[in-house]
Amino acid sequence: MKIRIRLVYELGGPLLLIALVALVGSMMSIAQQANVINILVTATIVIGLYVFIGNSGVMSFGQISFVAVAAFAAGILTSPVAIRSTTMPQLFHFLAVTKISNLESLLLGALLGAVFALLTGLVLMRLSGLAAGIATFAVLEITYDVITYWNKIGPGARTLALVPVSTGLSVSAIGCGIAVLAAFLYQHTRSCRLLRASREDISAARGIGVSVFRQRLVAFTLSGAIAGFGGALFVHELGSIQSSQVYIDLTFTTLAMLVVGGSGSLWGATVGGIGFGIVDVFLRNAENGVALGSLHLSIPSGTSTIILGAFMVAVLILLPRGVTGSRECLERFSMKRFSKAVRLDDQDVPRKP
Amino acid sequence: MESLLKVADLRVTYGRAVAVKKVDLDVGEGQAIGLIGPNGAGKSSTLLAIMGAVKSQGTVMFKGRSLHKLQPESVARLGIAIVPEGRHLFPSMSVQENLMLGRLARRPGKELRIDDEWIANLFPVTHQYRERPAGLLSGGQQQQVAIARALLSDPDLLLLDEPSLGLSPTAVNTVFDALGKIKALGIAVLLVEQRAQRAMQFCERSYVISEGEIRLEVKSKTEEDISAVVAAYFGRSA
Repeated sequence: MKIRIRLVYELGGPLLLIALVALVGSMMSIAQQANVINILVTATIVIGLYVFIGNSGVMSFGQISFVAVAAFAAGILTSPVAIRSTTMPQLFHFLAVTKISNLESLLLGALLGAVFALLTGLVLMRLSGLAAGIATFAVLEITYDVITYWNKIGPGARTLALVPVSTGLSVSAIGCGIAVLAAFLYQHTRSCRLLRASREDISAARGIGVSVFRQRLVAFTLSGAIAGFGGALFVHELGSIQSSQVYIDLTFTTLAMLVVGGSGSLWGATVGGIGFGIVDVFLRNAENGVALGSLHLSIPSGTSTIILGAFMVAVLILLPRGVTGSRECLERFSMKRFSKAVRLDDQDVPRKP
Repeated sequence: MESLLKVADLRVTYGRAVAVKKVDLDVGEGQAIGLIGPNGAGKSSTLLAIMGAVKSQGTVMFKGRSLHKLQPESVARLGIAIVPEGRHLFPSMSVQENLMLGRLARRPGKELRIDDEWIANLFPVTHQYRERPAGLLSGGQQQQVAIARALLSDPDLLLLDEPSLGLSPTAVNTVFDALGKIKALGIAVLLVEQRAQRAMQFCERSYVISEGEIRLEVKSKTEEDISAVVAAYFGRSA
C-alpha cells in the first residue's frame, strides 16, 4: 500500500505541476502564453535528458542532436511542398515531395530521435566518464555541422520557415505529460533498475551480472525518442527553426535545468525544467521592464544570463543534488523515517559513552 | 577432488606497478580456501583478476573453461559471485532491491539451492530491514546484505574480499557462522582475509601471499602451526 502511494506521488507530482503551469498559462495573455508553452516544451526535452543522464549517471552533451534532427525532419516534412523547391532547391527528392501531418511528425520525431540515438549509442555507450562526455559533445558538433552545411537534407544555414504551428498550451502540456509518463514507466522497468545499479556502483553491478553497455543503450535510445519528440514539439511551437537554435545554448540550458532541479529523479527533472524556465522568462522580461504590483523592475540587457549562471553556481554549491535533492515527489519524508530508525538500532556504530 | 577453479601463473599490473607477480592456486568443489597476506600483498587484485575486472596475464580456468578476456558480467553468469571489499552495495536502493539484483546472474535451468527463505534464515536483517535503503544500514548489516546478494545468484564459487574488515566482534562471528552454513550447502569459498588465524581455522587450505607471490600453502589447523605462519609472514600474532 505504502509503495502504491509512493508511486502515485512519483507520477502525480510532476503531472500536477505540469497541469498547474498549463492552468496558470491559460489565464495569461497570448504573448505570455508563448513563454509558458516554451517552458513546457523545454521541460519535455529536459525529461528526455533525465532518462539517460539521471538514470545512468553518465553526462551527455549530445541529446540536443536528437532534438535537432527531429525538429528539422518534422519541420521540413510538414512545411508546404510548394515552397520547398524554392526555399530548399537541393533537397533530396523524397524530402522535397513528402508531406505528413503535424501529429505524424511528432511520432516521426520520436522515431528518428530513437534511431539516431541507437546508432550513435552502439559506439558511445562503451565509454564512461570524461570520454563519454567528450564523445557525445562530438556528436552534437557533427550533427550541427551536417544540418548547417548539407543542403540536401535541409535549409542549411538559413532559417526553415513556414512550419505549421500546432504546439499550443494544451499540446505542450500533453506532450510534457507523455514524456513524464514514459520516463515514469521506464524507471520502473527491470532495465532501469539495472542501469541505476550501475550508476551507484559500476563494478558491483558488473560483478552481479549487469551488462552496463546494454542497459545504457536502452536508456540512451529512449532518451533520444523523448528528445526527438520534444524537438518536433519545439519546431511546431516556433513555426521556424535555425540550426543555431538547437545547438550549444539549448544544450547547456537544458543541462543546467536538469542539474539545478536534481538529475537523479523525475521530479527533479520536471521541477528543474519548469522552475528554471520560469526564472529565465521572468529575468528576460525584466530586461524589458516588468511590473511587480506597484514596483517596476528593469535590469540591463544580458543580466538575465549572468543571474542564471550565478544561480546555477549557488545551487551547485549549496545543494549539489539539486533543489529537490534528486528525490521523487514527497520521498523526503520516508527517508527521514528510515534514518531515524537506523540511528536507534545500529549495532556497529560506536556509541558515545 | 575435482578442481573447480584453477589459477596458474597469474600476473596483474597497474601501469608499471606489479600487484601480482605469480599466483598459482586451485579451489576444489565445495572447498573453503583462504588467501591470506599483509596489506598490498596482491590478494584483492587476484580476486579482481579472477572476475575479469582487471587485466591480467596467466591462466584462470573455471569448471575447465578459460575465463580469459571474459567481462565480469559474463564471469558472474558462469557461477562465480564476488563480495568485494567495502561491500559495494547500491546505497540508495532498498535491501530488497539489492537482493533482487543479486538474482540476475542465476543460470537458467539450474536447480536452485538458495532461495529467499534460506537467505532470510541465514541473515534475518535482510528480511527485517528489506524496505530500508541499504546505505543506511550499519557496517555489519551491510556485509550481511552483500553476502546475501552474492548468494542469491546461487553461485558455485563465492569470492569474499575481507568480509570482516571494520566489523565488530559480534558481526565478525555472524559472518563466519554464515560462511560455515554456505560451505555446508556445497558452495566453494575463496576467502581473502587479514584475520589470518580466523581464516586458516575456517578453511581447509590457505595460501599465504606476499609481495604478489604465493609463498606457502598451509593445510594444518593446529594452533602451533597457524601461530608460526602468522608470526613468520605477518610479524605478529593475529
